[in-house]
Amino acid sequence: MRRNPLWLWVAALTAYAFLYLPLLIVVLYSFNDSRLNAEWVGFTLHWYSELFNDTGMLAAARNSLLIAVTASLAATVLGTLAGLAIHRYKLRILPVLAVTPVAMPEVLLGVSLLLFFNLVFRPWLGLELGLWSVIVAHITFCIGFVTIVVRVSLLGMDESIFEAARDLGATPWQTFRLVTFPLILPAVMAGALMSFALSLDDFVITFFTAGVGVSTLPLEIYSMIKIAVTPEVNAVSTVLMALTLGMIVLASRIHGKAFKSTGA
Amino acid sequence: MRFLALLLLELSSALHAADVLHLYNWNNYISDATVARFEASCKCKLVQDYYSDNEEMLAKLAAGASGYDLIVPTGNAVESLIKSKQLRPLDKSQLPNLKNIDPAYLDTAFDPGSRYSVPYAYTITLIGYNEQKLRELGIPTDTWAAIFEPKYLKKLKGRVTVLDSQRELMAAALKYLGYSANDTDEAHWRRARDLIIRAKPYWAAFNASSYIKELTVGNIWLAHGYSSDMFQARQDARQAGRPFTIAYSTPKEGAVLALDSMVLHKSGPRPDLAHRFIDFMLEGQNSAELTNLIGSGNPNREAMRYIDPAIAANQAVFPTPDIQRRLEMLKDLDRAQRRVLSRMWTEIKVR
Repeated sequence: MRRNPLWLWVAALTAYAFLYLPLLIVVLYSFNDSRLNAEWVGFTLHWYSELFNDTGMLAAARNSLLIAVTASLAATVLGTLAGLAIHRYKLRILPVLAVTPVAMPEVLLGVSLLLFFNLVFRPWLGLELGLWSVIVAHITFCIGFVTIVVRVSLLGMDESIFEAARDLGATPWQTFRLVTFPLILPAVMAGALMSFALSLDDFVITFFTAGVGVSTLPLEIYSMIKIAVTPEVNAVSTVLMALTLGMIVLASRIHGKAFKSTGA
Repeated sequence: MRFLALLLLELSSALHAADVLHLYNWNNYISDATVARFEASCKCKLVQDYYSDNEEMLAKLAAGASGYDLIVPTGNAVESLIKSKQLRPLDKSQLPNLKNIDPAYLDTAFDPGSRYSVPYAYTITLIGYNEQKLRELGIPTDTWAAIFEPKYLKKLKGRVTVLDSQRELMAAALKYLGYSANDTDEAHWRRARDLIIRAKPYWAAFNASSYIKELTVGNIWLAHGYSSDMFQARQDARQAGRPFTIAYSTPKEGAVLALDSMVLHKSGPRPDLAHRFIDFMLEGQNSAELTNLIGSGNPNREAMRYIDPAIAANQAVFPTPDIQRRLEMLKDLDRAQRRVLSRMWTEIKVR
C-alpha cells in the first residue's frame, strides 16, 4: 500500500475538524449547566428534561421530521423520474423546468407558493394552509436537486450496458429494475439525503407556506433568537443529529453499496 | 406507512379542532400558567405561532396567510395593519376589563380612538450596564451622555454596544440633544448623525441580538437596548453567579417606548374566543404574570399589585411620571424621510 504524504493527512484532518468541531461543541454544550451557555459550568441533563416537557418544541420537531421524510421520499421518486426523462428525451425545456426551483431565490419561491396556494387551493378545493402546504412546497424545491444528481450519474454511464440488456431479452421494466436502477442507486440515495437535509433546515419557504398552528424546528428556534437561545436548542439539535446519523447508518446497512461512488 | 398514518392524524386533528384560538405572537410572550388558566376557563385550546420581527409578520400576512385570530404587533405595525384593512374593529361591550388600562396608553397615534387595539405590554429602549464597573469608573448611568460623550467613552473604549437600528439609535441621539424622537428636521438629524459619528470609534459594535449575552459574560459594560432584554441579562447574570450585577435605567432625557397591542385579524374564524382572550388578559393577575416572566412594562393598573415588588419598584420598567412624560412612541416616516435617514445611516456606518 502506498503511504499518503503527511501534508495530505494534515489537510484532511483540518478539513474534518472544520466540519465537525462546531457540531461537537453544540453537542457538548447541550449538557452545560448554565442558561447563558457562555462557558462550561458543569454537566447536567436538565436541558433534555426541559426539552421532553416542552410540547411546542416537540411538536415542531415532529413536524420537521414528518415533513422532511415525506417530502424527501416524494421528491426522490419524482426527481429520479425527471432525471431519467431528461436523459432519455433530449428536450431542451425539460432540464430548465426541473432545475428552475433550485436556482430561484427562496423568498421568491416561498411567496409565489403562498400566493398560489391561496389563489388555487383555497377557493377551488376549500383547503386551508397547513402541514400539507409545507410538504408540497418542500417537494417542489427538492425535486430539482434529486434530478440534477440522478442526471449527472446517468451522463457518466456507458449506453452499451442498457443495449446489452435489451439484446439479451430484458423488457424495458426489467432493464430499469435490474440494470439502470442499481447503477443510479448511489445518486438516488444522495439525492434523498440531500432533500432530507434541505427540507429539515429550510426556513424561508416554510415560513411562508406554513398554516396556522404548524411550526417546524427552524421556525421555532428562529423565533427564540430574540430572547437569547438556551441550551435547550443545543439539546434538540443533538437529538436531531443523532436521528439523522442513525438514519444514514441504517441506510448504509441496508444497502452498503449505495454509499460508495459508482466508479463507472 | 407510519408517517402516512401520522400525517393523516395530523390532518384530521386539524379538522376536528372545534374550539381553537390561534394566536400569532412573539416567542415567550405569555406565561404557561396564564395559557393553562385560559384554556381551562374557556374549555378551548390556545395555539400559538411565533414571529421574531414585525416586518416578518407583516410580510406573511401581506402575502395572504390567514387563520390567525389574534396578533400582537408593535405600534407602527398596528398602523400598517389598519391601513391595509386587515383588522376587525373591537367590540368593546365584550371587553369589560378594558377599564383596567391606564388611559395614557389608549387613543394612541397609531390607533386613534383605540378602535382596533388593546395594549398588551411595552418595552423601553434604554441603557443596561455593569453596575460595579460603571461605578468604579465614575460614569453617570441616568443619561444618554454615557454612550455619546467621548469624555466618558474614553474609559469604556470597546466595551459599549448600541442597537443596530436606524430609528432607535437616531432617537437616542435626538433625545440626548433635546429634540423629540420623532423629530424630522434634517438639520437636527444632521446634528444627531455627527454626535453618533463622534462616539462611534469608542463603540465595540452595533449589536441588536447578542448584547444580553455580552453583558452577562462581562465583555460589554454598557449597552443600548430594550428593557426586557436587560431584565433577562440581569437575571442570567444573577443565576450564573457572576461577580457583578447588570442594572438598567431610563435616561433622564427620555427614551423610546414600544407598545405591543392585541389586535383581531379579519381572517380569524373565532372573534368570539379572541374577545374572551383579550378580556382575560386584561385581568390584573394574568397581565402581571407576563411582567413577572419577562420584565416588560405593564399598561394595566390592576396588574400592579400582582407584580413582583422588585420589578414594580424598578424605575426603568415603571418610570416616574416625570420620565414617563419624556417617553415617546416612534411614528412611521414617509418615503422621503426614510431615504434621508438611510443615507445618513450609510454615512455613519462607513465612517
